[in-house]
Formats: sequence, structure tokens, C-alpha cells
Amino acid sequence: MKNLHIPVGHTTLANGLRVVVSPDRSAPVVTVGVYYQIGFRLEPFGRSGFAHLFEHMMFQGSANAGKMEHIRLINSSGGMLNGTTNYDITNYFESVPSNALARVLWLEADRMRALKVDDENLRNQRDVVKEEVRVNVMNQPYGGFPWLDLPPVAFRNWPNAHNFYGDFADLDAATLADVQHFFHTYYAPNNAVLLMVGDLDPAESFALAKRYFEDIPTHPLPPVADVSEPPQTEERRGAVPEKFGPLPAIAIGYTFPPRDNPDWYAAAILDRALHGGRVGRVYRRLVLEKEIAVETDGGADIIETNGPTQMVTRIFHTPDDNSDDVIAAFDEVIREIQEQGVTEEELAPVKVKLRADFYSNLEGGMGAHMPRFGLMHYLACFTLFDGDPNRINTVLDGFQAVTAAQVQAVAKKYLVPKNRAILVRQPVAKAAA
Amino acid sequence: MSGTNATAVDPKSGAAGNSAAQRSSAVPPLGPERPVAWPKRSVKTLANGLQVVLAEVHTFPKITAQLFFRSGNALVAHTTPGLAEMTATVVRTGTASRPSRQIEEDLRRMGGDLGTNAGADSSAISIAGLSEFSEGLLELVADLARNASFPAEEFERERRQKIEGLRIERTTPGFLANERFRQVLFGQHPYAVISPTEEQVASYQREQLENFYRENYSPANALLIVVGDFASEAMFAQIEKIFGEWKSSTPEPPKSPAPPRNIGRKVHLVHLPGSVQTQLVVGNLGITRRDPDWMRLVIANSIYGGAFHSRLVMNIREQKGYTYSPRSGIQSMRQQGFFNVHAAVRNDVAAASLTEIFYEMDRMRSLPVSDEELESARSYLTGVFSLGVATQDGVLGQLSTIYLDRLPEDHLETYRARIHALTAADIILAARKYFDSANAQIVVVGDKAQIGEQAALFGEVTEYNAGA
Repeated sequence: MKNLHIPVGHTTLANGLRVVVSPDRSAPVVTVGVYYQIGFRLEPFGRSGFAHLFEHMMFQGSANAGKMEHIRLINSSGGMLNGTTNYDITNYFESVPSNALARVLWLEADRMRALKVDDENLRNQRDVVKEEVRVNVMNQPYGGFPWLDLPPVAFRNWPNAHNFYGDFADLDAATLADVQHFFHTYYAPNNAVLLMVGDLDPAESFALAKRYFEDIPTHPLPPVADVSEPPQTEERRGAVPEKFGPLPAIAIGYTFPPRDNPDWYAAAILDRALHGGRVGRVYRRLVLEKEIAVETDGGADIIETNGPTQMVTRIFHTPDDNSDDVIAAFDEVIREIQEQGVTEEELAPVKVKLRADFYSNLEGGMGAHMPRFGLMHYLACFTLFDGDPNRINTVLDGFQAVTAAQVQAVAKKYLVPKNRAILVRQPVAKAAA
Repeated sequence: MSGTNATAVDPKSGAAGNSAAQRSSAVPPLGPERPVAWPKRSVKTLANGLQVVLAEVHTFPKITAQLFFRSGNALVAHTTPGLAEMTATVVRTGTASRPSRQIEEDLRRMGGDLGTNAGADSSAISIAGLSEFSEGLLELVADLARNASFPAEEFERERRQKIEGLRIERTTPGFLANERFRQVLFGQHPYAVISPTEEQVASYQREQLENFYRENYSPANALLIVVGDFASEAMFAQIEKIFGEWKSSTPEPPKSPAPPRNIGRKVHLVHLPGSVQTQLVVGNLGITRRDPDWMRLVIANSIYGGAFHSRLVMNIREQKGYTYSPRSGIQSMRQQGFFNVHAAVRNDVAAASLTEIFYEMDRMRSLPVSDEELESARSYLTGVFSLGVATQDGVLGQLSTIYLDRLPEDHLETYRARIHALTAADIILAARKYFDSANAQIVVVGDKAQIGEQAALFGEVTEYNAGA
């Protein structure tokens, strides 16, 4: 077995900004990201969707790069850019030819130092975000299923349970003062990590980071939000009408152990025995053997979250079957893995596949024009959540060490009704066209 | 547009002599452009006609491979639409020696991902996995290409799944818009059909799949590209061993009727009751990548609507907030190409959005782009092109373009120079020829009660029902 060692260098600037680099000179391109430890889970109470709306505002202008300048400068340097809002982080990233590294850092530093936006920018991006929500959720079959539907059923603490894309009334209520306040609260160098991966020299990159970022003032950070959940005592269920799609769809989520829990590695292996394409137990049983489902998929985002998270299975079935019967078939799969565990013949290939997927993710992970996005993303999560970017080189060992007995034990411990939530999307009756 | 001040240098901070402020107010210049070294590739054709292209990329211990057959859904569009896709789907479900479950277990054991699919012009078996298992991965590809057994039960199940998938597709605004657009643009030409109907899928016979497979999954009709962590010489030897015995037959190339010539703007309204947004697609026939005008059109499209900082995105997203993700694109297929603009817009600005889409087209057709815009577009295209060299998928994608489209061997190496040679005159020439605003076809998917009157402002309206 051929193992991979990822070179990782890291430092912390005087203002608290963490800087992580990983050189790879095989192609003359570099991917840069700034990750802030603020996500939609942590947005202000009652202001659903604000973290994401704010992410859009970060492209609307900073002290020395006005509206559209940021995008124009990256594109005209030969690069691609984007930003995403996640549960616990918001990221901004660019892939560019490596001769543009200094320019990218200058732009990221400029908007970390001083956001410069006005009411017109806010109105404009509020409209853009509403169209984003319409195109991705309100006007799509199975839009938002289940990443927006399931959390309100599964969780009770508002940070985990609200509408992350935002209710339009909440988006409308956002003011420019809110935007500036949010910026000054969370967008501080001491709440972020800067990452550079690709065609770079580590010493030069650290020097550039120091040059552009180190004089950005530190802010006091608010106390860490409490995202813990009250203990769950019974299975939770919810239903949402499906406006366009013809098939009933079911999402089943089990709350998984947090990242610092010893069960974390075994839970990941369990997830991959159950899911992981056509060979996974759920697809094989429900789609291939019983033919009670048309399609299933699922998984758990464990590396990327820093709070309550679920392993979620999605099942689409025809109206000929009753959703309860489909859930009963799924429960059979769960019962089997709890009672009989997994064999070595299953465990070994699951680990091989996990390793292969890990490498593929490090190499790309975000389309054809964002090389090493996955590597950057994992380095950011390991830095912000675990304080150790070098975990990129040890995390596989943890997965490889999981035993069959541990997999069975986590199946018994976590895959229980009082640890799960079920959401059903039932198609609404259609009027004749 | 607010981004008219090209550089963000603030003279005041320089005058103040504050080095920190100076440092932060001037856009750093680009360093010297680094050369892009495309991975060394070797090309060989085996005695049975199989063309093999290898490229070594050693950064991750994995390989990515794709076996293409130069026959796709266009070949069967007039008899059994979608048959190539259905054939590809069922190919992965069994061979003479491996039942479906064995195939999936073998894949997992080698860390493999497998995909089988067909587009208009080709069918493909794609695989990726750990390089330590490259022999086993390629043996699996060969087994699927040579010995697929089309088990009856798997065929029936995959067909039922396909029908359910089609039902969902036909409730998706983006799909409905593309489907109608292609029908309008291509008429009787096989490219008009992007997906079969439920009834067509229901009438497939297992024997039809086997026939398509026998006639088209053949080495003389195939191209194998392997990218990844291997030594080319050893890999050629392995491929010779695995694929060398495969026997060939050559299928007939399809003969297609010409697409219609659409004169005058026409509106095609697909009624989707309850739609809270309007999906627009606007466009016309274009050219293929082999046309001498292709690079001109590439840069014109990039300035018009092909990039985030393009005119269309600036206009209807960043200035007006009508939409989240407007974009234009140019598509090259083997026989024909087309130009399209798409945007999902707020219902009450459907007409306003179309007005801007045509305004920006006409501006491209009548006024030369500025030097700054030209330089920016060149730099964007050459830079983004080089991002594609950094992943195995990116390299494989570029190589498949060259070898499937039979472009010159030095296509990648000369790409940047060809972009740098383009001028404002090239752009206006391409816009006048290929952004055919006077004869563009307009597809509008939405609730007709909300958008019918707006759509009618742009030409004669033909109405359709979604899913019908």
C-alpha cells in the first residue's frame, strides 16, 4: 500500500491569524482560502440566513477594491473564485496561476481589514440571494431536501434547528448596520485561518502573509455559542409537502458522535458500510434486492462540522409503496448490522475505499477549476476545530485502526430510535395539466 | 457599472508616506507568467484499432481512466431515443463472469469509482481508483467493454429506475428549458432529443441493448485515456495484455438531416404551474471546436456571459439583482454547435431580463471591446486553462477533447499563444456571426399566468405544458 505524505507548514501571526501552507509544485497554480469560524449555525438568533447573506456582501467591496473589483481582479488574473457558508465556517477561496499569489492575498487582506458596502449593495445582494433560494429550493423538485428540512425536525436548539438559507422576512429585515456589526464581531484575524496550497515556497508565502495581514487589528471575540442539544428521548418525525417531484422521499438522520469523541472514527466506517454507492448495505437491500426504493444515498459530513451532526440516508420510492414499509426495510438493515456486525471481508474494502476517496477529495473536491480545494478545506477544518493541520497526515491511520467490534458497538449505540429523526416529503396531488 | 475605476490605487495613502497604508492600497502586480508543462503523453494504436493515450501525473497514488466509444444517443435518436444511455447503464450490471454484486465488491476492494454513460456522440466507461490496483481496474473496464451480459432482471430494474428518473427530470425547470431549447434548435436532427419519453424507455427490448453494444463497443471505435500515477511503458504493456485480444468491427457513422434554419425571434413557453421563478434559455446554432472561428467565439462568449466578471453577470446579477446564476455558453458537439444563455429570474422581471440579454448581445455585435477588457479576457482564459492541468480529471478532460474531436496534437501546448493572438476585431466578428440576436430562439419555463404577457413582447409564442 502506497501512502501519501502531505507537506504542511504553519505559523500564527502576531494578530492571531493562523497561516497554513502546503507546497505542491507539480502545476503552476495555487489555491488560496480564508476560513472564518462563523457559519449559519452561529448566526444571530432570529436572523435566519444572515451568515449566507453576509458571505455575499464580502464580494461587494472593501476599502481599496470596490464593488466588482474583487471578482474582476481574480478573473483577470486567470483565476476562479467562490465562497460558501457552512454549519461552522464560512470560506472564501481562489484558484489562480501562481504568479497572482500576492494579488490574491492583498485582496483577501483588504476585505478582512475593512468591508466597504452600502445600502444599494445590500438591496442588490438580498435580491440575488432570494433568486438563489428560489432556484435551489423553492422552484426545484426536492429542493433543500433534506439539508434544510431535516434540522428543524432533528434538533431543538435554534442554532442547529433553523432555516439556514433564511426566511425571506428575516432577509428583508437585515440592515447595513447588522452587516457591519457582524463583520466587526466575527471577521477578525484571530477568528480565521489563511491557507495556501500548490505552487509556492513556504518561506516566501509566510512572508507574504505577514506583509499583507499582520497589521490587521485583532478583535475581542464573543463567547463561543452554545450549540449543544438537550438530550433526545424519543424518535422525532416531520413531514413536508413536495410541490414538484412525483416520488415520496424519506430522510433518516442519526445524530453522530462529535469529533473529539473516541467513537468518531468507527462511526465514519459504519457510515461507509451502510452507504458508499451501490455496494453499501442500504442501496443493496432497498434498491437492488427488495426493490422497494428507486434510489438511496447518504453519508455524514464529519470532518467539516464542529457541533451536532447527523448521518443522513435519503430514500426515494414510488407511491405504490407505503413510506412506513420502506422505513421498516431500512430498519432491517440497521438491525442486521447491530446484531451481526461487519466481517473482515467487508471492513477491509471499506477502508480501502475510504482511503481512495480521501485522496480524490484532496486532489480536487470542488469541480474542475479548483485544484486541491479538498486539501485546503480539510487543512482548514483540522486547524480551526482541532488546532492541528498535521492531522491531514494522521487521520487515515485512525480510520484504518477501527475494528469490526468497534463498528458493531457504534451501530448499537448510535443507530437507535431516540437518536434519530425522520422526515418525509410527500408529493402534493397534482391538478390535471 | 461601479467597477469602472480599473485600479484601486489611492494616491492619498501614497502621499501620506505610511508604508502600511501604501502596502494595502495598491493592487500588487502579477509576477512573470510561469510556463505550463502539460504532462508528457504517449499515444499508441493497438493492432485491433484501439487508440490509447497515456499521461503520467504522480501527485496522488491513483489513476483515472476513460474508455470512449464514438457512438452515442444521436446514432439511435430516430429509432430508439436514449438507447445508448440505457445500454451504458446496464453494461455495469453484469458480465459473463461477474454478477452485479461482484462488480461492485471488486470496485470497493480497489478503491474504485465506476461510471457508465452516453452522450449524444459517445458512450463511455469511466473508472478511478488507487494506482496499486491499476491492473485490476483496467481488467474490469475491459470485462465490461467485452463481456457485458445484460442480465434480464437488472435490465428490468434499471429501466424502471430510468423511468422514475425521467419523471423527476420533467419537473425540473432547468431540464425542461434545455429539452425544449434543443428541440427548437435541432428539429429533425438527432441532437434535438436530450432524453427519451417514459413510453420510449418502457418499450426498450433487452436485445436492442445487446445489439447496440455488439455493434458499437468495439476497439476500432474506441479511445482509451489513462491518467495517473504509473510508468507509461509498463502501463502500455499492461493495456496490450488486457485489451490486445479484443476483436473489432466498425460501425457505420450516422447520417443526419440538417437542423432547421430559424428565422426571426420566437418564444417557446413551457407552462409549469406554481413556478415561483422563470427559467430562461436564449440562443442559436453555432459551430464546432474544429471551426476556424472557434477561438474567436471562445473569447467573445467569455466577455459576454461566460465568466463571473462578464458583462451579462455584471448587468443582471450585480447591478440589477434579477438572478443568481446567469451564464452563457458555447457547446461543441461532433456535427454541430450552439450558443445559449441561461438565467433563472424573478417572475416579474422576465421581460426586463430578456431585454438585457439582447442588449448585451447587440452591444457585443456593434461596439469593439476595450483593450482592458480584451486583456482581462485573454488572461482569464489562459489562466483558467492552466488550472485544468492540476488534477487527473482536468488532464483527462482536456485529452478527451483533443482525441475525441480529432484536434491537432499540439492543441494544449498552443492554446495560450492562440488566445493571446486574439484581437477586438476577432471578437466583433464572432459576435456578429454567432450571437444571432435577431433570430435567437427564446425558451421560457414558468407559470404562464405570471409571465405569458411578458414573453409575448419578444415574438410569436408557442405554448407547451411541462411534462407533456
